Amino acid sequence: MVDQLPNLGRESEMLEIMGLSSIDDLFSNIPEGIRRSDPLPLPEPQTEEEIWADAQRILGKNVSLDDRPSFLSAGLSRNFVPSVVSMLATRGEFLTSYTPYQPEVSQGMLQAMWEFQTMISELVGLPISNVSMYDASTAAAEAITCAVRVNNRKASKKDVVFVSSLVPPHRMSVIRNYTEGAGIEIRTIEHDDSGKVSLNSVASASGCCAVYVEQPNSLGIVDTGLLEIKSIIGEDTSLIVGIDAVSLGIIEPPGKWGADIVVGEGQPFGIGPTFGGPIYGIFACSENYLRQMPGRIVGQSWDSDGKLAFTLTLSTREQHIRRHRATSNICSNETLIALMGAIHMSLLGPEGLERLSLRIAAATESTRRAITRIDSVELAYPDSSHFRELAIRVPGKASNALQYLDSIGVIGGLDLGTWWDGMSDCILLGVDERTSESDIEELTSGLSRWSEGR
Amino acid sequence: MSDIFSFKGASGAGWSQPGPILGESEARNSIPEGIVRSSLPDWPRASEPEIVRHYTWLSNRNFGIDSGFYPLGSCTMKHNPRLNERIVQLPGIDRIHPLQPESHIQGLLCIFFEMQEMLAECSGMDSVTLQPVAGAQGEFAAIRCIQEYHRSNGEGHRDKVIVPDSAHGTNPASASMCGYDIIEIPSAEGGRLDLDALRAAVGDDTAAMMVTNPSTLGLFEVEITEAASIVHEAGGQMYYDGANFNAILGKTDPGLMGFDAVHYNLHKTFSQPHGGGGPGSGPIGVRAHLSRFLPTPVAARREISTDDAEGIGDGFWYFWQDVGSDSIGKVQQWHGNAGAVVRAWAFYRRYGKELELMSEHAVLNSNYLRHLIMNPDAETSGRIHCMPSEGAEADFVMHEFTLSMAPLKELNGVTGKDVAKRLLDYGYMSPTLYFPQIVPECLMIEPTETESKEVLDKFATDFHAVLSEDPETVISAPHTTPVKRVDEVWAARKLVLRHPGTGFED
Repeated sequence: MVDQLPNLGRESEMLEIMGLSSIDDLFSNIPEGIRRSDPLPLPEPQTEEEIWADAQRILGKNVSLDDRPSFLSAGLSRNFVPSVVSMLATRGEFLTSYTPYQPEVSQGMLQAMWEFQTMISELVGLPISNVSMYDASTAAAEAITCAVRVNNRKASKKDVVFVSSLVPPHRMSVIRNYTEGAGIEIRTIEHDDSGKVSLNSVASASGCCAVYVEQPNSLGIVDTGLLEIKSIIGEDTSLIVGIDAVSLGIIEPPGKWGADIVVGEGQPFGIGPTFGGPIYGIFACSENYLRQMPGRIVGQSWDSDGKLAFTLTLSTREQHIRRHRATSNICSNETLIALMGAIHMSLLGPEGLERLSLRIAAATESTRRAITRIDSVELAYPDSSHFRELAIRVPGKASNALQYLDSIGVIGGLDLGTWWDGMSDCILLGVDERTSESDIEELTSGLSRWSEGR
Repeated sequence: MSDIFSFKGASGAGWSQPGPILGESEARNSIPEGIVRSSLPDWPRASEPEIVRHYTWLSNRNFGIDSGFYPLGSCTMKHNPRLNERIVQLPGIDRIHPLQPESHIQGLLCIFFEMQEMLAECSGMDSVTLQPVAGAQGEFAAIRCIQEYHRSNGEGHRDKVIVPDSAHGTNPASASMCGYDIIEIPSAEGGRLDLDALRAAVGDDTAAMMVTNPSTLGLFEVEITEAASIVHEAGGQMYYDGANFNAILGKTDPGLMGFDAVHYNLHKTFSQPHGGGGPGSGPIGVRAHLSRFLPTPVAARREISTDDAEGIGDGFWYFWQDVGSDSIGKVQQWHGNAGAVVRAWAFYRRYGKELELMSEHAVLNSNYLRHLIMNPDAETSGRIHCMPSEGAEADFVMHEFTLSMAPLKELNGVTGKDVAKRLLDYGYMSPTLYFPQIVPECLMIEPTETESKEVLDKFATDFHAVLSEDPETVISAPHTTPVKRVDEVWAARKLVLRHPGTGFED
């Protein structure tokens, strides 16, 4: 029997008070012709015990990243989330609340989000952050449409943006969906053979509305060339930078080298990879973009007694007020996951962030060195610096190598042929703070054995 | 006042973690010199006990369904079963990467497949994708599918989307993001769809109409099939906003009503916790003619063969099926909010074929509360200064209803907002305020199926008490909340959007 309905068995008592005899009366407005005639062809209701047993059995068939050495990252991190994060964030007062439209009884979430905005602002080096986007891809897409709204009037290349050719296809696909309707034309910023941005290509973007690049890029390459972009494109073209949030513990934040909007995946702070969602997108910008930005934002204010208080602000940009003239359709966002992020960032503190960043840098460097010791395998971009991700070239098909690694219990990374034609002999390795020497050893010895056995 | 930035422990204070697997300087040297971070972010330096106390203090200043009755219309603030939270902590979801091979994710693919099938069945659609991560994103994705459908028929010139004036703001916003012009049609007398207005609005340029049924007034659109015919005859597509789907499960479905595409709010109908504003999940379902445009990929299955790895034991092999070259591609870069999908799966399993009971009780509770509020006994009636009027006249409502506080405002200046704020003092979340905009001084009330008769009785009594109080008390409410009325004008003018003490300027 269903157990979530307090009034089950009391229907007639309530109907009687209304002067009715049957629940069917309440549905009498549904015309005969469109009523469902048969009961829903679904299974019997289950008890909590039965659902839990099914969930354990079914989800237990999945192979967790924690079960094996894993080098699969590609934009999501096999992180370690401190225990208090989900314990605090899932307190019922946070978990079961909705958008804080009534600030008088929502100060907790409002203040937590205002603190989140501050931490993101500090992290990326820009003054303004919203309370989250869905993920890195929609954050990038809406940053582009936002930049076009801000710059199109002055742009000589109207409705044109330039996007790095190394933005992976799944993220690019989201960007294309979001820019399609706005009539935005996407052109490409090229990269040279070492994976670094081509500054000539950047020069050709001059006069467009925005340039979108990533640091590190999807192949993990840390590119000092990006520091030159803002001076090339000038004030009237936005520099939008996609980041690896954790890298900013050791890498200079884009806000300090000219970025107008910074976006990225917040997931490494706060929540596991969780099959790709719910996670949260970071969106931060400079003041010029404030009134055109998407998403919710919390401001400080005072109550009628002069007490410090927080409230949602600048709502006139949003869909529930502005309707079809809104800056975005976003309504539900990822606040709870952003709260998890805020708790995680608070626990880390500045030096904890730096250490986390260094751990990943160390794991990247260790993996890079170990790869160079295998004769048959080479770095795809040996002359570049890397953070977290590292592309390698194998003698044969990457898919075969990955299959072999899987057979010996190593999650070997991503077959880059699934992203780009011509890279089917390349694997994208990704490390994280938990990558150990023995993980690296298992990976490299597996790759050696596979190369030799071919 | 607890302020996270007031925690200023010693350098390096806070949560401890293992050291890097290489020497620190070797790790640092892997980053080019010119781009090394010059100064660390000004984050708090706090220990776990301080953090726990800070966020617990904050949570005590926040109101959720767990705190009390949350009749926020349209948002479906029903109880969130805690089993669902436990399930998503399992490593088989929390520690899974979306790019793992299919042999690693048979369990998740199985749940995705079951959810696609269940949603298609309940809505009368042919194909479902779980990728959109919020209702608004579902709207956007479905309208993009419709856009590509028209283009594929050589009808790319269709550039108008019709929405009723009672529609959620996301409808016009989503269609507008797809590049459509919006035609807003006024509601008829009584708040329902005006077919004459619709006939006047459709034409060779109609791409789609977006409708929610029951409407935001809580009314079932009895002429919905006629509306669908009008739009279809003009060559347009019918889009169902599933925000109110929780009212009709098992009773009727969008397919029967004549819709071509629908989104579902898993966080509403299937109880993913709303989390202070998200996450949500907004899968979409479509009729067969739109299937090839859906975001890619979708979960599929075939009979398992001896060549396959171990399945989950139900005789099937689950896999990702590419939607094909007509697909609009991706709207989220992975597979959507899987955590919400798994919670919704656990929720639906609890009801199974009796999901209809959920809708029955949602509608029962809504009508019951409306009846109590609109029919006070003689003694109560004598105390009340002025009764609200119905947002829309109707014999019955569905899962929610609207009240207009305009008569009260006219009588003694007490606005809908004042009543909403006063309800906070009584320990309730306020109803949705001033929406839909076609009802003056609107309060929109959705009790949901998880509130007991006693809670509804008490709410009606307290609502009447507010209507009977000294107007000054109501106008100056709330009085007992952690803060009193917040100055929203100051906030919008001064725009203090981050902690000032941490000093942004270098």
